[in-house]
Amino acid sequence: MHLRLNPEDPQIMHIDLNSAFATTEQQAHPSLRGRPMGVTNRISTHCCVIACSYEAKALGIKVGMRLSEAKLIYPEFIILETDPPKYSHVYKKLLNIMRSYSPKVEMKSIDEGIIDFNQTREINTRPLEEIGLEIKERIKQEIGCWMRVNIGIGTNRFLAKQAASWHKPDGLDRLDSSNLLKYYKQIELTDLTGIALHYQARLNAMGIFTVLDFFKAEPDFLHRQVFHSIIGEHWYKRLRGYEVDDKPTKLGQVGRQWVLGKSSDDNSYIIPCFHYLCETTAQKLRFNNKSARGVMVALHLQSGEYWVKRKMYKSAFFTNQDVYSKALYLINQRPKNEAIKQMSITCYQLEDSFRNQLGIFEEVNKAHWLTEAVDEINDRFGNFAICSAESLPGKKLVKQKIPFGSTKYFELLLK
Amino acid sequence: MHKVINSGQRVSVVASYKSGGEDSKICLPHKMLLGGKEIKFTELGFRHPTAKGGRLTHIFDMTDGHNDYRLEFDAERLTWTLAETLTIT
Repeated sequence: MHLRLNPEDPQIMHIDLNSAFATTEQQAHPSLRGRPMGVTNRISTHCCVIACSYEAKALGIKVGMRLSEAKLIYPEFIILETDPPKYSHVYKKLLNIMRSYSPKVEMKSIDEGIIDFNQTREINTRPLEEIGLEIKERIKQEIGCWMRVNIGIGTNRFLAKQAASWHKPDGLDRLDSSNLLKYYKQIELTDLTGIALHYQARLNAMGIFTVLDFFKAEPDFLHRQVFHSIIGEHWYKRLRGYEVDDKPTKLGQVGRQWVLGKSSDDNSYIIPCFHYLCETTAQKLRFNNKSARGVMVALHLQSGEYWVKRKMYKSAFFTNQDVYSKALYLINQRPKNEAIKQMSITCYQLEDSFRNQLGIFEEVNKAHWLTEAVDEINDRFGNFAICSAESLPGKKLVKQKIPFGSTKYFELLLK
Repeated sequence: MHKVINSGQRVSVVASYKSGGEDSKICLPHKMLLGGKEIKFTELGFRHPTAKGGRLTHIFDMTDGHNDYRLEFDAERLTWTLAETLTIT
């Protein structure tokens, strides 16, 4: 397989909201505009900055930094708590704008998405750069005057994303066969989306030190020597502008994890929180119309050890009670007198839900009907209007965080 | 230095409504009465709806040029509440 640069006209547009959460807060609070500020999930001295404004970034404050570190850099640094409904509204507005240009829109996360213009060009003949400028203007008009986006145009999803991160903030760039090699000369391996330090080390070990070295590498070499899998060939195509990232992914597991406020082995503190995690995991299952056959509980212990226990069942389950009872059986087997730092519950071996099918046993049917009734009431009066009494203290302690990656649970989160 | 005051205080608001136009400016608060003092808004920062089950509340982030105010309009009870005031000194 030998491919030249993809000569086609770019039809993929990547849109990325600049510092989305921080910019949204600056939009909502005019007095914060132009100031170094950030947002976090819950304000405390040791909390992390999960998004910061460009003014803060210019001072050297980075995402992931502790608030105390940010305050050392700039004592007047302002931090606010996240406000998920606000970001959800921005997300929906952005999605509506994007959908007005093409039916093929895919949100990659809460603040970025892709418009695929393929098969729309017979109707919409305007240059993509012109459409990009119009989208920037519409975002200012329809969401807020402080909102800024980076727009990238490319022949595949990878190049469109690279183009969107070329000139931040508020950039609009196009990468195609005419300027791709010139662009590759300017950037480093870790500037490529998907190449972090681990992959960089692997490439370096095989004599690939620059993006151009990577680009020139043969597909067979990338497959057999560097990545030891089909991933090597995917990189060969990706770097030349051919699409390899448009395959839908299959949902393999759902779960929740939580870092305990204080490490503990006290059941009166752990179990209500664990119960709450199980209930929200079961909700995720039902939200995806899935049932699970496997359940796994994993714990990070204070001693530094990692404890994990899993079990498969013959019949699939999806109710809160089923998930909790099966997970409780596992967590009760944990090492005694060992404080827990972090716990997670995962349901796996997912299959399409059989909820529409009546069971033979009345007791099973009753449990399913009860779950449906409770879900219906919670849909109307708010999530956890009805829940298990034991999980109530857990709901107060385990705060739902804003999802950075997939947006598929956004509607569930905001109920 | 910044200060966030959570008040949850019921307030009187003068707002205008218009048909059509930009979605976020169909309802626009202009001023509110807070502790006997009239506060005139100079800008709408952001408006977004939020739901608790079937109950809808509209959040208006307003500014008077000095402080930022978060106003909540309960679409069921038709009441205005000042949820939060952000002051930067």
